[in-house]
Amino acid sequence: MIRIVGIVLAMLFAFPIVIGLLGSVLPAFGLLPPLADSEGFTELFADPRFWPAIFLSLKTAIIATLLVLVLTMLALVCAHGTRLWRWLNGLLPPLLAVPHAAMAVGLLFLIAPSGWLVRVISPSLTGWERPPTLWVVPDSSGWSLILGLVIKETPFLLLAAAAQLPAVRVDAALRIGRTLGYAPARCWSRLILPLLYPRIRLTLLIILAFNFSVVDMAILLGPGNPPTFSVFLLSLVNDPGSRAVASAGALVLAAGVGLLFGVTVIVEKTISQIANHRRESGLRGNSLPIWRVIAQGISTGGLVLSMLTIVMLLIWSVTRRWRFPNVLPTEWTFSHWTNRLGEFASPLTTTLTLALFTTVFALIAAVAWLEVERREKVPKLDWMWYIPLLVPQVTLLFGWQAMALLTGSDGKWLSVAYSHWVYALPYVVLILAVAWRELDPNWNSAASVLGAGYWRVLFRVRLPLLIKPVCQAAAVALAVSVAQYLPTLLLGAGRHQTIAIELVTSFGGVDRRVIAVLASVQSILPLIAFGLAIWIPRYFRAERNT
Amino acid sequence: MYPLRVDNLSLQLPDGTMLCQQLSFEIAPGEILVLMGPSGSGKSTILSWLTGTLNKRIRATGEVWLGETCLNHVAVEKRKLGLMLQQDYLFPHMSVGQNLKFGLRGGSKSERESRVSASLKSAGLEGLQDRDPATLSGGQRARVSLLRTLLSEPCALLLDEPFSRLDVTLRGQIRDFTWHSASRLPTLLVTHDEADVPANASILDLSGLR
Repeated sequence: MIRIVGIVLAMLFAFPIVIGLLGSVLPAFGLLPPLADSEGFTELFADPRFWPAIFLSLKTAIIATLLVLVLTMLALVCAHGTRLWRWLNGLLPPLLAVPHAAMAVGLLFLIAPSGWLVRVISPSLTGWERPPTLWVVPDSSGWSLILGLVIKETPFLLLAAAAQLPAVRVDAALRIGRTLGYAPARCWSRLILPLLYPRIRLTLLIILAFNFSVVDMAILLGPGNPPTFSVFLLSLVNDPGSRAVASAGALVLAAGVGLLFGVTVIVEKTISQIANHRRESGLRGNSLPIWRVIAQGISTGGLVLSMLTIVMLLIWSVTRRWRFPNVLPTEWTFSHWTNRLGEFASPLTTTLTLALFTTVFALIAAVAWLEVERREKVPKLDWMWYIPLLVPQVTLLFGWQAMALLTGSDGKWLSVAYSHWVYALPYVVLILAVAWRELDPNWNSAASVLGAGYWRVLFRVRLPLLIKPVCQAAAVALAVSVAQYLPTLLLGAGRHQTIAIELVTSFGGVDRRVIAVLASVQSILPLIAFGLAIWIPRYFRAERNT
Repeated sequence: MYPLRVDNLSLQLPDGTMLCQQLSFEIAPGEILVLMGPSGSGKSTILSWLTGTLNKRIRATGEVWLGETCLNHVAVEKRKLGLMLQQDYLFPHMSVGQNLKFGLRGGSKSERESRVSASLKSAGLEGLQDRDPATLSGGQRARVSLLRTLLSEPCALLLDEPFSRLDVTLRGQIRDFTWHSASRLPTLLVTHDEADVPANASILDLSGLR
C-alpha cells in the first residue's frame, strides 16, 4: 500500500517530464504529423536570427554565472564573521522570494537613463536636466539582463553556500590556517573553498542552466533584436507552422545546457589542478586589507541595489507626478491601486488559487514521499527532483504543450496547476528532506509506545516538531508558483491570466505606474508568505509557553 | 628562540564575569607551562587571546611578548605561534604530504620534498606522503598534525588538550613524541588531566585564580 503511494507520486512527477521531452523530440524530427510533419533543424539553422540569438544567450549566461560565483566568493571571504554577514543573512531570504519579473521591472526603474540612480546625481553632479541619451535600457548587448540575473541569482548561491559553512568547519580552518601563517583570504582559497565548492556545485549548475534559458527576465531586460535564444524560440512556438523549428530549438537549448555543463567540468578540473599546485607551494604571501574593504563595498553595493529595486516598485506604484530629475515624486496617489482593483481582481484570484493549490499539494506530496522513503527504505531518488531545475523550462514545456494540444488538455486550469506543482515540488522535497531525515526516530517510538497510531504520530508529533521547515517549504512553494510565467503562458492557452502573465505581457504597452502596481503585488505575495513562515512557528511556540 | 611572556592579562565575559585577572607568566625556550583548571575556567580562551582569535565580545587587557616583540597588534598569521587543538584538523582535501607541505615554509621543490619525507621518517610515519588523512589511525593523525605545526617554524607552541581524544594506550607515546619534538620551544599546554603534565613542567592552576 505504502509502496503504491510512492510509485503513484513518482509517476505523477515523472509523467510530464517524460511527456514533455517526447513532445519536444518528436516534432523536432517531424514525427508528430498533426503538429509538425517535417524536421525542424535545417530550417532552424538557416534562420538568420539563430546564431546571434545563441551567441547572446551563451554570453549572458556565462558572464552572469561567473559574476554570481565571483560575488558569492567575495561576499563569503570579506563578510564572514563581520556585521555585514548578519545583514546579508537576514536580507537575502526576502530578496530570494521576490520574483524575477518584478525585480527586473524594479531594476529598469533604477538603471534607465531616467532612472533613480541618474536622478540621485542629477543635475548636481552630471548637469543633466533631461534624461541622458548615452545609453538605453534594455541595451542591445545584454548587460541589463546580466545585471538582473546577477542580483537575482547571487542571493540564491550565497544562501546555499552559507547553509554549508558549518559542514566545512570554517572557524577551525581559519584558525589553523592563520596560525600556520596564512592570511584569511588564503585560508579561504586554499582550505575552505575547495571543500565548499563541491557542496554548492549543483546549485551553481541550476543557476547556469537557468541563466541560459530564462524567459521572463529576458523579455523584460534582454535585447529585442536579436533576443536571447529562448525568447526567440517562444516567438516561434505559438506560430502554427513553426512547431518543428521551435521544438528543434528547444532541443538545441537543452544541448546548449549540456555543453555548458561540460565546459564547467573542464574549467573545474583545470582550476583544481592549479589550486593543488599552489597549495603545495607553501607560499604565504601578504594580506591586502584594501581588497577586503573593496570587496565589502561591492557586497554592500549589490545588497543595496537589490533592495532598491523593490523600493522603486513601491514608490512608482503610488506616484502621480514624478518629473526628471527629482529624486522623489512631487505628487503621490493611491489611485493606481484602488482604480484598477477591478482589473486586477481576476488575475490576482487566479494567481492565488494556483499558488494555494500548488502549496497544499506540493506539501502533501512531499510529506507523503518522505514518509514512504522513511518507512519503506526505498532508494532516495534525490536526482529525480533536480531534473526540472536542470532541464530548461522551454524544452520541457514546449513538449508538454504539444502533448496538451494533441489531447485537448491545454487551456485547462488543472493543466496549469499541474505544471506549477511540478516546478514547486522539487524545492519543497529538497527543503523538507534535510529536516525529515535528521529528525530523531526516537520521537516516533516514544509516541508509539504511548499508544499513538501512525496518523496521530504524524500529525501530533512529527509535523509539529518540523513546523519550521514545513512553513519554509510552503512559502517557497507559494513563491515559485507566483513567479511562474512560461508554464502558465504555454499550458494556459491565454485563458488563465495571472499577475506574472499580466506583468510581462503588458510591459512596455502600459503606464509604468500600473506596471509598478503589478510588480509590487507579485513581490508582496511571496514576502507575506515568508513573513508567515517565520511568524507561525514562533506563534505556536509562544502559545505553548503561556 | 625567545621566551613567551604574558603581562597582566585580564579577560572579562560579556556578562561581567572575570575569567582571569592580572595573570602574568613567562615561558623560556624549552620550558613547558601547564595551564590547569576545570572546563569553563577560561583555559582555551587564554589560548584564543594569545593567537589573536579571541571572540570580539570578550574584553581583554594585557600584553603578550615574544622576546622583545609585543604581539598584541601583530596579525594572527604573523605571530608564529603554533597551535594544536583537541581535534587534529588535517585538511581532508589534501594528502598527508600535502598537509605537511601546507605547513612547511620556503625551500625549493626538491628541498620541500625531502624535508617532508625526513620529518615523516622522524615520526615513524615513513612513506605515508600520498595517503589520505582519513585512512590514518588516531595516533598517526596526531603526529602528522604536530609535524605540520612544527614545519611552519613556530616560535612557541600552544597545545589545547591535544591528547584528550586519543586512545589511553596511545597517549603516553604521543606525549613523549610531542615533548621530544618541542624541546627547543616555549610551550604552553592547556589540560584538565594531570597525567598530561610532563615531569619538568611548571603548573599554573586557574581554578584558584577566579
